[in-house]
Amino acid sequence: MNFMIEFGVIQLLVALLGVVIGIIFGALPGMTATMAIAIFLPLTYAYDLSTSLYLLLGLYVGGISGGLIPAILINIPGTPSSITTGFDGHPMAKRGEAVRALRIGITASLIGGLISLTVLAFFTPVLAKLAIQFSAVEKFLIILFAMTVIAALSRGNMTKGIFAGFLGVFISLMGVFPDNQKLRLIPSLLTTELRDGFQLLPVLIGLFAFSQMFSEAELGMRQMLMKDNVLLDGKETRKFSFKDFKGQIINLFRSGLIGTFIGVLPGVGGSAASLMSYSQCKAWSKHPEKLGTGEVEGLVASETANNGLTGGALVPLLSLGIPGDSTTAVLIGAFMLQGVQVGPLFITQNPDIWNTVLFGLLLSNILMFAVMFWPIKFLANIIKIPMSKLYPAVVLMSVVGAFSTRNGNMTDVVTLIVFGIVGYLFSKIGLPATTFLIGFILGRDLEKYFIDSLKGSGGDLSVFFSRPIGLGIWALIVGFLIYAFLDNRRAHREKLA
Amino acid sequence: MSDLFKINITYSQSHLIMPRIILGVLMILAVVIFIQEYLKARKAKKPFMNIKQWRFFAKDYDKVKLFGSIGLLFAYIVLLNLIGFIAGSIIIASLFNILYAEKKDKKSIAICIGISIIETMVLWFIFGYIFEITLP
Repeated sequence: MNFMIEFGVIQLLVALLGVVIGIIFGALPGMTATMAIAIFLPLTYAYDLSTSLYLLLGLYVGGISGGLIPAILINIPGTPSSITTGFDGHPMAKRGEAVRALRIGITASLIGGLISLTVLAFFTPVLAKLAIQFSAVEKFLIILFAMTVIAALSRGNMTKGIFAGFLGVFISLMGVFPDNQKLRLIPSLLTTELRDGFQLLPVLIGLFAFSQMFSEAELGMRQMLMKDNVLLDGKETRKFSFKDFKGQIINLFRSGLIGTFIGVLPGVGGSAASLMSYSQCKAWSKHPEKLGTGEVEGLVASETANNGLTGGALVPLLSLGIPGDSTTAVLIGAFMLQGVQVGPLFITQNPDIWNTVLFGLLLSNILMFAVMFWPIKFLANIIKIPMSKLYPAVVLMSVVGAFSTRNGNMTDVVTLIVFGIVGYLFSKIGLPATTFLIGFILGRDLEKYFIDSLKGSGGDLSVFFSRPIGLGIWALIVGFLIYAFLDNRRAHREKLA
Repeated sequence: MSDLFKINITYSQSHLIMPRIILGVLMILAVVIFIQEYLKARKAKKPFMNIKQWRFFAKDYDKVKLFGSIGLLFAYIVLLNLIGFIAGSIIIASLFNILYAEKKDKKSIAICIGISIIETMVLWFIFGYIFEITLP
């Protein structure tokens, strides 16, 4: 195997830049890692794919890790994935162990990242090898499967999740159909502007940056500091030591693997990873009643799991071409912009890029640790940055990004604003934007494989049930639907109780 | 019976097959969501489609900031076409900064404009000059 990777000072600096900006976005409640990647995507035009991957992976790892700072200090998760970090982290901070809690969280994040990286490295080639045997039929079914899983795991909200996914597919079909070059679903006034449909980049920046900005504007752009915050000027009652991890080895591995596994399932976000890991930690704990009062155990479970997510979410992306979460859905944009097809053939056709991904992820995790662990006292001031001063810069970057999508087209800027409003409306009526985006990304492929399968069979639909691998995927789809149905009912009952 | 499992693929019409199927699926899902919401409302003994109590915006929401943001974005497009990237961005970024600022006295407005000029120039330098990305 070819182990050539492009790496030098520029790549190191770019990764460092990514990690630092990622941490800032992750640490500010109201801004997310996904948003950071979305607005920095246009920079990938300037660099080649491998250099931009260092930036994007840095943003990803930094963004997920930065969330622990406000979770521990002010009990507000900076990103949804650190939702359970504050459960034990904040009580520790209130006891005067803020620095200790932060350093435990940072170390746990590093270990989680490394566990998931290992899984990514070994699991992706295996899955890709299996997927190489897929014909158009199986490719169609695997996308259908991904959409079922997404919906199945939007707990208590299954129908709306499926609806949003199919709506994304529908919107992606707008424009010319490549087979017969005919236009569809486009109002006659906009035939020139929307000939190729909506572009991915403005759609995703709109959905993840602008809609969030509108939501924050609606609430007055207020900084969520104030109440109950622990800043780092008090006295330290207990210092961090690596001995804090004594007795946590099993917890580390369990949580890291749970996070990775949740990441592998398409469409499940980081909040699910940390919640599930935390509840497992409680179930296995020798003293579950103490969790939530400032136990190292709970903090470790949460932070290992959410960084475990990073490698996991890349598994389906790189082996099947299906994004594992909203952030990887944005990452797929980077590959598409550079004309690199992610899917079963990705590793064999692009061994250098595959190695770059692995190395970039490793480097980002190490840089994240180096940047956060020692200067954490200084870094904690990030949460004081007013987001009202950052959003105008986000607006400028988003517009530049959208405009450059097709080398200068105002239609894409309009698309950006329109999808910002669409995303904002989605959040109001409870439609998940992530599901919509995944449908939008996979929609054209779904159509292509469907039509190709039918062309091969002369229009006979039974072709979708004719091959053993296909039947296996059907079994998975039905299994997930049943699981989803039962889980939904349980969620409803829990809500009522 | 076997005809039920067949879809005729005519070359000239093949671009409409998938949109029709997806539209069908969406309509079925919409009906299901409608029924679910109705049953939920009945179970909770609340009137269905409770328009009077339904609140779209958050309580005491910031009208100026929300609609101001949307308006400014559209204004940005117009300005970009009229006066170009640098001037248009400085104006719009300043207005965004002032809109979101908590205090609106002379000093903070000056700071807002200063920040916007720096932001615009930095972006122009990085994207337009170093990376040669097409700017509006």
